[in-house]
Amino acid sequence: MNGNAIEVLDLVKRYGNVTALAGVTFSVSRGEIFGLLGPNGAGKTTTIKILTGLTPPTSGRAYVAGFDVVRQPNEVKRRVGWVSSEVILDDDLNAWENLELQARLQGVRNWRERATELLKYFDLLQSAGRPVGGYSTGMRKKLEIATALLHSPEILFLDEPTIGLDVNARAMLWDLIRTVNREFGVTILLTTHYMEEADALCNRVAIINLGKIMALGSPAELKSSVGGEVVELEIERPVDLSALKRLPDVLDVAASDGKIRITVRKADETIPAIVKSLDFSAVKSLKVEKPTLDTVFMKLTGKRIEESHVDYRRFYAMIRRSRR
Amino acid sequence: MSGLGAFWGLYKREVVKIYRRAFALVMTFMQPIIWIIFFGSSLNGMPREYLVQFFGTPNYIGFVLPGQLATSMLSTGTFSAMSIVWDRRFGFLKKILVTPAPREAVFFSKVAGAVTRGLVQVPVMLAAALAFGVALPLDPVGYLEWIAALMLLGIGFSSIYLAVAMKSSDWQHPQLVANVMNLPLMFTSTALFPRTFYPAWMRAIADVNPITFATEIGRGVVLNDPYTPTLLGYLAAFAAASMAIGLLVARRFMTAE
Ligand SMILES: Nc1ncnc2c1ncn2[C@@H]1O[C@H](COP(=O)(O)OP(=O)(O)OP(=O)(O)O)[C@@H](O)[C@H]1O
Ligand SMILES: [Mg+2]
Repeated sequence: MNGNAIEVLDLVKRYGNVTALAGVTFSVSRGEIFGLLGPNGAGKTTTIKILTGLTPPTSGRAYVAGFDVVRQPNEVKRRVGWVSSEVILDDDLNAWENLELQARLQGVRNWRERATELLKYFDLLQSAGRPVGGYSTGMRKKLEIATALLHSPEILFLDEPTIGLDVNARAMLWDLIRTVNREFGVTILLTTHYMEEADALCNRVAIINLGKIMALGSPAELKSSVGGEVVELEIERPVDLSALKRLPDVLDVAASDGKIRITVRKADETIPAIVKSLDFSAVKSLKVEKPTLDTVFMKLTGKRIEESHVDYRRFYAMIRRSRR
Repeated sequence: MSGLGAFWGLYKREVVKIYRRAFALVMTFMQPIIWIIFFGSSLNGMPREYLVQFFGTPNYIGFVLPGQLATSMLSTGTFSAMSIVWDRRFGFLKKILVTPAPREAVFFSKVAGAVTRGLVQVPVMLAAALAFGVALPLDPVGYLEWIAALMLLGIGFSSIYLAVAMKSSDWQHPQLVANVMNLPLMFTSTALFPRTFYPAWMRAIADVNPITFATEIGRGVVLNDPYTPTLLGYLAAFAAASMAIGLLVARRFMTAE
């Protein structure tokens, strides 16, 4: 099958009078790791639900693996894997039993071989006979990804894959996602509200807010779109800035109460020239600000992503405990 | 056929969950056994002729055992409803519906799981009755018919309750439905008392209440009292109709949210 892995055209989804998606268009090429980055209620999960056939769109079109999600949902479902943001496994069953159920739902023959391979790969083989209820958060997440990969999907949807994980587990999962993408050749669409995650993992990122895509591009493109990096100098006495302003790579110079903010394309490469262009004995300190995806989000919406996002980690941990 | 494989996987899950939650299983046995203990003890001192006059037999535990087993099949309704509500609540239903597995497979697995759980009570109750000194006749065909009757009853109840709970994600709903439905269904049947002394309106309900039919088949076996095979036909019709309703509701309303 040629063409893009995912093709989304003007997708709209309304729940009553709440507009979850207000016309979203994007496409994901095969083999890509594509990220939807946005705060609570942006419409990330809604997008995934539509693309996996869990809910129909109000209007618009979506093609996944070449099939229309509304007209050929089963063709789509056979070719995608889905990992929810809240881990969904049956706590009464062990890993084998959870995998077997998934295999039978997806009609996978010889599932034991594939399951063994995945359990080995995800380092879960030792504990596979234990009911999943006793697994750690990281183990549960890994098992959920393993179940989602059991039927060898072309496309994997990961909804907030590292929410509720500690720093180590998150790093482990990032590696895992990269290898799954590379070695299993799986296209990945993930959602996140962690800008570092989108930056570290994704080939391309769509910044989504209030059901609309605000910007789309590679992390580097998005960051350079906000206008380069800033070198900030703290100075003891006024200095002559005329030579600095003439430097070719300097985009902007702004001086105010003892500080000079110099906007450049690449700070690492321009700092030597800056040092030479002014009386550096007057400089007390030097600081480099590189734009992050958060800077991009802030420029687009006037808010920070993480500020507008509740941290669910403790909340989910609580839910999981009460489930036992 | 992928539907069959999906059904089998989902049914296996239901069965594994039954025995992994052994405590809950034991608790479901307790209620009917308690009935037999107290019913038996409280009538123990009653003169024989009163028993015969009222129940038509001095063997009152033998009289109430089939009624209790038939009534206990109402629990299949609560099981199936509970099971779908929990799956919806914890997102497991989404996990199922994100695969090509047909909704019908989900529906049948819930019904089959609940009926299995309900039928586990049969041998336990029979053993309890034996322990209380009820002489159970040796009648293999009779027992098969009785078990078939209980199974059909279970299929009917679990389908209907499942249909009622299909859209709900509130774990209290199944219990509420059970509270409202179970006692009236039990008391308007012949599960506990013979219909002879019922007022006309209750008799009318008892005569169409499926619990009555399964009870009468069981009584026929335990009290060695011949019954007409059409009773089983009625139960089959009840099961088929409920299943049809349940399937329609599942096709229409079993969605991820
Ligand atoms: N089933 C539903 N019924 C009603 N409203 C819904 C439903 N699902 C989502 N919404 C609304 O649609 C909007 C988008 O929700 P969505 O879950 O897609 O956001 P999200 O980007 O995944 O957010 P989060 O980071 O919190 O997971 C929200 O305003 C939400 O309240
Ligand atoms: Mg979400």
